[in-house]
Amino acid sequence: MTSLIAEKLAYSYPGQSRVVLDQVSVELTPGTLTALVGPNGAGKSTLLSLLNGFSKPDKGQISINGVPLIKSGYQVALMPQRGKLNWDFPITVEGLVALGRVNHPRSTCCELEAALQRVGISALAKRRLDSLSGGQQQRALLAKTLMTPAKIFLLDEPCSALDPPAREEFLLIMRQMANAGFSLLISSHDWGTSLNAYDKVIALDKTILASGSPEIVKEKLDSINCMHGSYCCG
Amino acid sequence: MEVTAVVDFAEATTTWWFIPLLLILFTGGICPAMGAVLITHRRLLQVNLISHCVLPGLALALVLGLPPSVGGVLSGLIGALLAEGFTNKKNQNYEAIMNTILSGSLGLGVLLIPLFGIQIDLESVLFGDLLSASPGDLFRTLISFLTFILLIFCAYDKLVHIGLDPEGAALSGIKVSYLNLALGFTTALVIVSSMSAVGVILSIALLSTPALLGLQQAPSLWVAMLRSSLFGVLVSLLGFSLAVIFNMSPGPLISVICIAFLGFLPKKNN
Repeated sequence: MTSLIAEKLAYSYPGQSRVVLDQVSVELTPGTLTALVGPNGAGKSTLLSLLNGFSKPDKGQISINGVPLIKSGYQVALMPQRGKLNWDFPITVEGLVALGRVNHPRSTCCELEAALQRVGISALAKRRLDSLSGGQQQRALLAKTLMTPAKIFLLDEPCSALDPPAREEFLLIMRQMANAGFSLLISSHDWGTSLNAYDKVIALDKTILASGSPEIVKEKLDSINCMHGSYCCG
Repeated sequence: MEVTAVVDFAEATTTWWFIPLLLILFTGGICPAMGAVLITHRRLLQVNLISHCVLPGLALALVLGLPPSVGGVLSGLIGALLAEGFTNKKNQNYEAIMNTILSGSLGLGVLLIPLFGIQIDLESVLFGDLLSASPGDLFRTLISFLTFILLIFCAYDKLVHIGLDPEGAALSGIKVSYLNLALGFTTALVIVSSMSAVGVILSIALLSTPALLGLQQAPSLWVAMLRSSLFGVLVSLLGFSLAVIFNMSPGPLISVICIAFLGFLPKKNN
């Protein structure tokens, strides 16, 4: 079982005085589906970048099972925002998914097939990536992320390009992953009644505004009255 | 029968067209394969930059008594690194920086030639002189061919990952900057080696058009590179043959044929 604890993180972009994150503490426990919500510019992607080890916090520390993140190997995997990928690249779905193991131990065909099955796109394995719909592309990207040896998955706005039915299907896959013992943190700038599908919600706007069960966070946010509800990924 | 074939081959190697033909086959194969990698990495503009930056290196190498191709590769690479160094983090000013360095390097090369009284045929460097190619030119092309094959053989998966998701590649522990440097070096080598066949400026066409055709619906970068090479060889052979028949310069003719081949690209709404 793998738990991630981040304590009192602070971060500013190099050469800039503006604080992007301040006093942010997060705990991710196994089998938990956590939503990270907040308005545009709240620092969600920056926080995911810190938790993944891509950027280093100015203050605070991140550990996995008590071991500093930097010494924990590849325990955390990040699924990036879809805008960061070159979707026109000549590659098939299975080619993309196999990339999840580049620089990691070689995958067997069974692992690749299992990842494809888990997200429900086995039939699309031979299709070129740019011939898929937005929802299918997101699933392929999730399957690639699943190929890493990680136990903690950070998903950066995975539902931003999906229609409501595709979002529900995607959430179902994430729920199945949580039930399998993985820990998932999913960022979204949309939130509303569908947040109820998550075990835990973290509301962020440079600092943690509220954290806990969906009901508690909603109550707190209503009292703060700084955000507006809309349809959410979850 | 076999002896006759060997004798025929030996005779062929002494004919005027043998080395130019081999050179154009290798150049036509390697340039588009390199181009396919660069297009998928969105780095094709670097070809323009490097091809213009090789001139001052060629000139200085001649002054220092070094092989011109070594100087060309080094100055091409320095130009590419300078452009990346001056580019801001969001790549907003890359094109303007690149154009400045590109024209500045060409200007520097043109200034150095009379300044040091260098004996160099500028026209053949820029636009090629295939029919007077030497075994040395062929050897240089073979080196760039082998370097490219080595890069692909050793780092294919990593190059695919970087082309598809550079940030994700860095996150998974791939040394993105080293591989980009290797890619820049190989690009400079390919451009300099194509100098005799089509010239450093006209190599841009061979790096672009056949690669565009080869990338259509290719299921992998491997397939795209192979298809691009085949298109490149076809374009080059056509250009070479027409140049011999009509007594024209092969380099510029190949570039013109490349424009005609753009007609085979699928329409926008397809």
